[in-house]
Amino acid sequence: MHKFILVIIISFLSIQKNSEKIIARQGNVSFFSYTPVENIKAENNQVLSIVDLETNEIAVSILMNAFVFEKALMREHFNESYIESDIYPKATFEGKIIDFDPNIEGVQTRMVKGNFTMHGSHKELEIKVKIEKKNNVFAISGSFEAVVEDYNIKIPPLLRGNIAKIINVDFKFEYEGYEN
Amino acid sequence: MLILSLNMKVMKIKKIVSVLTFLLAISFVNGQELLDLLDKEHKDSLSFAEATFKYSRITYGHSVQTRKSGTLDVSANIRFWNTPEERSQSFFVDRLNTRFALEYGISDRLLLGVGGSTFDERFDGFIKYKLLRQGVNSGSPVTISLFQNVSYFDDMLPYSSPGMMLSNRFSFTSQVLIAKKITSDFSLQISPTFVHRGLVFNENDPQNHFAIGFGGRYKLGGHVSLVSEYYYVANPITSFDTYGPFSLGINWELSDVMLQFMLTNAVSIVEDAFITQTRNNFNFKNPNLNFGFNFTYTIHFKNKLKGKR
Repeated sequence: MHKFILVIIISFLSIQKNSEKIIARQGNVSFFSYTPVENIKAENNQVLSIVDLETNEIAVSILMNAFVFEKALMREHFNESYIESDIYPKATFEGKIIDFDPNIEGVQTRMVKGNFTMHGSHKELEIKVKIEKKNNVFAISGSFEAVVEDYNIKIPPLLRGNIAKIINVDFKFEYEGYEN
Repeated sequence: MLILSLNMKVMKIKKIVSVLTFLLAISFVNGQELLDLLDKEHKDSLSFAEATFKYSRITYGHSVQTRKSGTLDVSANIRFWNTPEERSQSFFVDRLNTRFALEYGISDRLLLGVGGSTFDERFDGFIKYKLLRQGVNSGSPVTISLFQNVSYFDDMLPYSSPGMMLSNRFSFTSQVLIAKKITSDFSLQISPTFVHRGLVFNENDPQNHFAIGFGGRYKLGGHVSLVSEYYYVANPITSFDTYGPFSLGINWELSDVMLQFMLTNAVSIVEDAFITQTRNNFNFKNPNLNFGFNFTYTIHFKNKLKGKR
């Protein structure tokens, strides 16, 4: 009986020990909108992401006003007129890396399934990612397409031609150990 | 003895159970929202309220807004009005004042501009510096900008007038622009103003004026906002009647183009003139009512993405 309890305690402790998290503080997210009228490109180098290596859960948090555009005015319009970053300052992703084994050295391609929230709208996403482990350092990269309509972003009819209906989003996160 | 050992056993089990629940709780907390952990990381980033107003002018008067570095605004400010004559044979409108201007953002906080008006022949230059920026969650509660303008009055004057001296033709306007973005849709501005007029035709008129301006913006939609402005002059010109300039307008943005439409009683577009020398009050009769129109095209000279990677 005692031994049984001890085993349980030890197993809990071992879980505690294994529950290691890694964080990316300077993750890169960029997006592109290609139309015949104009190309819009933006980059954000301050994206946060955290991965729980035990549960394979991943979370990403993007500050919308940290996106840098080619033109200063684009950034203002993005924050003021489209994304409304006063009201919705962040876009977040919460999900799980399916079949992820943190012990595999080198590259593995996995699916991430989760919930993406932007401009107050939620969307279930399934994204193919490349996970690279080199000298115990993890890097996750990939891309997905965001449909503007899904996120309740209003584009005035006169500017419909300037903004693509589907926006390509690229991301790359390099992780380091996370301490509370 | 037996009872004691049994008691000890019970206590031990109790202890173990309590430890167990504690560990369970910890593991639960651990598996808790990862996003909350990221929220904690975000905290120390300080951000400022952007776009208190959308352009360097609310309607005719300056706003706290400066432009981002490396942007050049090319603008035409036009005011149309009619004379009170019953029949006039002018094409389209009787009178027209156009000011062409260039404004360049040296840095995100420093804006320089020059302009020239056709009707009252005033050439003006200004410098505006954003001293304090309103923080989003912490920091300053308001945005404060300092504004200084010089205007040169180039119109023909009678030979004997004091304006024959070059130095008398310069007027100066200094403003402290204080604005607050109260909600994401609503901004207000108060602008204490000092005007030094170069040309004074009547000795009883003051050369220096104190005025205070009020301005506001209400965002109607993503690209359209309603704006209004009024200036009150504490010591107005006494030799003829002047009124505080008032305006009601719409700002409309279309990517690189900014359109500002307004109804106003101000004829001039240069600070010292419209603050102290607006001769008609705001009403819907000719020549009091002006239809105003500012067209601004923004050219970006700096690619902000360059050198990022």
